[in-house]
Amino acid sequence: MAIELKGITKTFGSVVANNKIDLCVKQGEILALLGENGSGKTTLMNMLSGIYYPDSGSIYVKGKEVKITSPEDANRLGIGMIHQHFKLVEVLSATDNIILGSKKEGKWLSKKRYEEIKEISEKFSLAIEPKKMVYNMSVGEKQTVEIVKVLYRNADILILDEPTAVLTPQEITKLFAILKKMRAQGCAVIIITHKLNEVLELSDRVTILRKGESVATVNTAETNAHELTELMVGRPVELSIQREESKGNENLLEIHHLTVENEEGLEALKDVSFELNQGEILGVAGVAGSGQKELCEAMAGLLSVKKGAILYHNENIVGKSPRDIIKMGISMSFIPEDRLGMGLAASMGMVENMMLKNYAGTSRGPFVNKKEAKKLAKRLVQELQIVTPDVETPVRRLSGGNVQKVLLGREIESNPNVLITAYAVRGLDINSSYVIYDALNQQKKKGVGILFIGEDLDVMLELCDRIMVLCHGKVTGIVKADQTTKEQLGLLMTDAMEKEEGQHE
Amino acid sequence: MSNRVEKKIKEPFIRIEKRADLSSKVKWLLYTSAFFTAIVVGGIFLLAVGVNPLKAYGKIVEGAFRSKMAVEATIKLAVPLLISSLGITLAFKMKFWNIGAEGQIIMGGIFSTYFALFHADWPHFVLMTVMLLAGILGGGLWAVIPAWFKTKYGTNETLFTLMLNYIALYLIKYLTEGPWKDPEASGFPKIASFEANARLDKIFNVHAGWLIGLLLVLAVYAYLKYTKQGFEISIVGESQNTARYAGMNVKGIVVRTLFLSGAICGIAGMCQVSGAAFTLSEGVAGGVGFTAIIVAWLARLNPFIILVITAGFSILEKGCSVMQSTFGISTAVSSILQGIILFVILAFDFFSSYKLVIKKQKKGGAKNDY
Amino acid sequence: MKKVKRLLAVLFVFTMLLSMTACGTKESEKEDSTSSNSADSDFKVGVIHIGDPADGAGYSYTHDQGIVAMQQELGLSDEQIIRKNNVADSDAAATRAAIEECIEEGCKLIFGTSWGYMDTMEELANEYPDVMFSHGTGYKSNGTNFNNYFGRIYQARYLTGIAAGLKTKTNKVGYVAAMGSENSEVTGGLDAFAMGVESVNPDAKVYVKVTNSWYDPTLEQQAAEALLDLGCDVLGQHCDTTAPQLAAQNRGVWGCGYNSDMTKDAPEAHLTAAVWNWGVYYTMTTKAVMEGNWNCENYFGGMADGLVDISPLSDNCAEGTQEAIDEVKAKIVDGSFQVFEGELQDNQGNIVCKDGEVLDDATITGGINWYYRNVVVQ
Repeated sequence: MAIELKGITKTFGSVVANNKIDLCVKQGEILALLGENGSGKTTLMNMLSGIYYPDSGSIYVKGKEVKITSPEDANRLGIGMIHQHFKLVEVLSATDNIILGSKKEGKWLSKKRYEEIKEISEKFSLAIEPKKMVYNMSVGEKQTVEIVKVLYRNADILILDEPTAVLTPQEITKLFAILKKMRAQGCAVIIITHKLNEVLELSDRVTILRKGESVATVNTAETNAHELTELMVGRPVELSIQREESKGNENLLEIHHLTVENEEGLEALKDVSFELNQGEILGVAGVAGSGQKELCEAMAGLLSVKKGAILYHNENIVGKSPRDIIKMGISMSFIPEDRLGMGLAASMGMVENMMLKNYAGTSRGPFVNKKEAKKLAKRLVQELQIVTPDVETPVRRLSGGNVQKVLLGREIESNPNVLITAYAVRGLDINSSYVIYDALNQQKKKGVGILFIGEDLDVMLELCDRIMVLCHGKVTGIVKADQTTKEQLGLLMTDAMEKEEGQHE
Repeated sequence: MSNRVEKKIKEPFIRIEKRADLSSKVKWLLYTSAFFTAIVVGGIFLLAVGVNPLKAYGKIVEGAFRSKMAVEATIKLAVPLLISSLGITLAFKMKFWNIGAEGQIIMGGIFSTYFALFHADWPHFVLMTVMLLAGILGGGLWAVIPAWFKTKYGTNETLFTLMLNYIALYLIKYLTEGPWKDPEASGFPKIASFEANARLDKIFNVHAGWLIGLLLVLAVYAYLKYTKQGFEISIVGESQNTARYAGMNVKGIVVRTLFLSGAICGIAGMCQVSGAAFTLSEGVAGGVGFTAIIVAWLARLNPFIILVITAGFSILEKGCSVMQSTFGISTAVSSILQGIILFVILAFDFFSSYKLVIKKQKKGGAKNDY
Repeated sequence: MKKVKRLLAVLFVFTMLLSMTACGTKESEKEDSTSSNSADSDFKVGVIHIGDPADGAGYSYTHDQGIVAMQQELGLSDEQIIRKNNVADSDAAATRAAIEECIEEGCKLIFGTSWGYMDTMEELANEYPDVMFSHGTGYKSNGTNFNNYFGRIYQARYLTGIAAGLKTKTNKVGYVAAMGSENSEVTGGLDAFAMGVESVNPDAKVYVKVTNSWYDPTLEQQAAEALLDLGCDVLGQHCDTTAPQLAAQNRGVWGCGYNSDMTKDAPEAHLTAAVWNWGVYYTMTTKAVMEGNWNCENYFGGMADGLVDISPLSDNCAEGTQEAIDEVKAKIVDGSFQVFEGELQDNQGNIVCKDGEVLDDATITGGINWYYRNVVVQ
């Protein structure tokens, strides 16, 4: 037995993140840790890697009880964690990143280190260029460096936290091959995920967490997606999205040659052109950081545009502030990625958040009138089944799903013609996700043009009418959802990247 | 891999953890116990320096209330503290850390002193109104400087406002020794006392600053809670991104709010020169601008609680002053006592958001050995 | 809920205790007043100090020694003296608050010992006609309940000048002055000191450094160091701390202190100090106010009254100093010698006092803005 956890409990304030969790993984086995966001997967693994310390419970590594109080302890025990957000120094080479902080090297660096790294990469068939700088690497390459880094420290227990979130389908296939190879070499692998297909494809066993508790551990071969979902959510769930027929084809927004710089002054969007029609859902796919955020903010008037035009019914809205855009009678709603940091005021109640955008119009004088906002808040609680003790309760105390409902509810209530949503279901449980999909379909039926920035290609293929793929700030393709496949999208997502590499050589 | 060096690892003995929001009952309990702990710790200190703590505390309470005159003196101490705490509150609500109240009080004082010195012949009501407006302008402009630089160049407001305090202080020094020096003071550097016409009227035997302060409590409360501008301040304080998202002019709001914040502190300065000191001197702010930060913080930016805490501070200060002279002890002792009481209360304040977790000793610690 | 109740109980007990002690003190005060056979035991005197007498030397200490002397002389209890210490005279509001607190305590006579209190005291005198206000080192009075008191410290300074003039070997005497020539008190004292130096050592020059602050240990030390760097080997001073004397001692040279006998602070350097015996005035005035026959005139006492003097000469003094000083002191006391008697020449060459004339008190307190002929300003 590589790792055994018994009765692990961890609380943050009054929140119980992990409640008496048992878990075990053998050498030469891949265990999937499945659960919705907030079910305690990452917290549990952070205790294995020495970032948190459990309130109670015991950890056994290779049969011995241990205390892991720092990442160093975890290293010593052969546990290596690859975090969702890579922890690499951009300006160093792969090798330097790998040996950084390792106790293996003495005071002086030896040439041997390249050989050793080569040896490791050959053993697990990891494609890695030891001298390549991290800032020149693709996301997949960076992940490989992270894996080598862990192996270099003699780790034989690997934990990967949502490793596929930032990868293209092709990169995912490669990663899975690597992990399978590691299993063959006798390593124990724990992979944190909430994607069912990955679980079924890769793992030997699945441990399912729900609300901080381990509800079941099953053999992958003996289960299916339906059963896993049920275990994860706690009740049977209907897993299908209906695609409403796109009705109107009238042009709503035309984006012409849009070029936008981000805060660091780098071009985040390059010459982006597309159209958004009435009554359609236009998906935007791409690996994280391909310019999605900048596209939304530029359209909403929050980011200044360097070049190009955004035409709304043939009227250019570039250079106008959000307030000006509202004044022009254009009702554009933007549901940002960072809900509590941008879309809502976290420590205020629903009522205040309802009037965030129209507080100035609530009355003529200097005072705000909360009557309408309060009515609206109460209605939304009813209509969207928002769970909150009171409409005055600070929204940061609500769960992620309810926060998103508050945000979406407010935006839909403003009767928009254009709705921009960024990662609308991120962090939401499955049930809430489907409430959101439904609501978006409702809007589509009303003729609203929806720009849907998404990350789950399966969902996008079902929900969207067309999908636009962004890569490095450029549009690499706009395809009809019912005439494309995941693989095709994946190719578009990496397209420009490969071309760029070709230029380098 | 069994030959790895295994070190005996100890569990951390004490950890600091963030607390969940406390219920109001627990909070009440916490602050009450903070108050009593402060009294007890202060008492131990008094015992150590040879003063009977019961008598001393008795004297403090008595000293602040023993006569009409004592109460008036306590109120006079409270006025500048109350007003500048309210001023700071506006900036703090926006998470703009204005620690320049001291300088804003001084600038308010300087601006209104100009009219008191050189236009003392104006009709009283006109002069008072102009002095009040001058105080507002002086304090407000002094606060707008760091706000403008912050919005334009992203300068650090904490350092900026702090530095401006010293500039304001030296400006008084310059005026006292230079252009505004009292020619009748035979060389002693001081600014002349204001004429009776340039003095703030008394209401119930205390200068009208107390009424201004109380009105400001209501005004600031209503401004923050019920007005559109107050709403904007809260949103900007919450998240500048959210404010921009909501279509607010963030820079404009920051500058406007800081003007108001400084303006209110400027009113405190005007009240001090025209109501309490009747002249402008280096001691016009006297550290009130810094104490106000503590008051605003302890009150969680609630104007009504600010009123209560200001009262507490003033009673303590006045009472300690009486205690010092009655027992003939050093002023240092009463300052230390005030410091101790404040420190303990602030320490408890820390525990309203954090808690210490102390690991219980396990029986049979041998389990930890491999 | 139990906990809350228990806490409330503690709270209640504590308030009871507080109120009991508060009552207790009141009762004991009453007992005091009845047990005493004289109405004088109700009489309270307030003192406003710019520093803290607990410092053990310097300005506030000297004044407070006078208060203590008065207290002993008149048999007042400690409760009858209300001291407000560390009251900054640059903070008019704080000054007013301190004086009002004395009034609140029931003081019928209030002494303010620093120049900057004058205007505030004058105003309060008009507001509280029943309370007597006596202000030190200033010049205003209202003839009914507000006067000023000061003394001819220049007489003592003249004598310390003799000690300095006899001691100097470099013929450079330093002087740390709190204020510049616009301040008559400081300038007159410096001139008297310089005259004393000249009377025994016509070749010596007096070098002056101004700090522009009555009390600032750092500035005073810096000024003293600068003078020592010039080659001065005796330092006189008109400032509040012992810093100049300590600086002189560090360099192995000498100095003349002020306010209190600084021989105990700088035993190897100190010659003699111009000192105040404020007790003379405090006793006289308090007694008069208690008996209801205070005349409320400005007071300007001298060596003959015992208000000013020099501290006993230390062993550091040059031979013959005692004799030289005793001779002049006798003449000052019997009135046969006036310090500011013509002909006097300033360091610009102007005659500031004609031969045979004597400067009047108004000029001495407010009109000396010139430096004597052997003074060099740095």
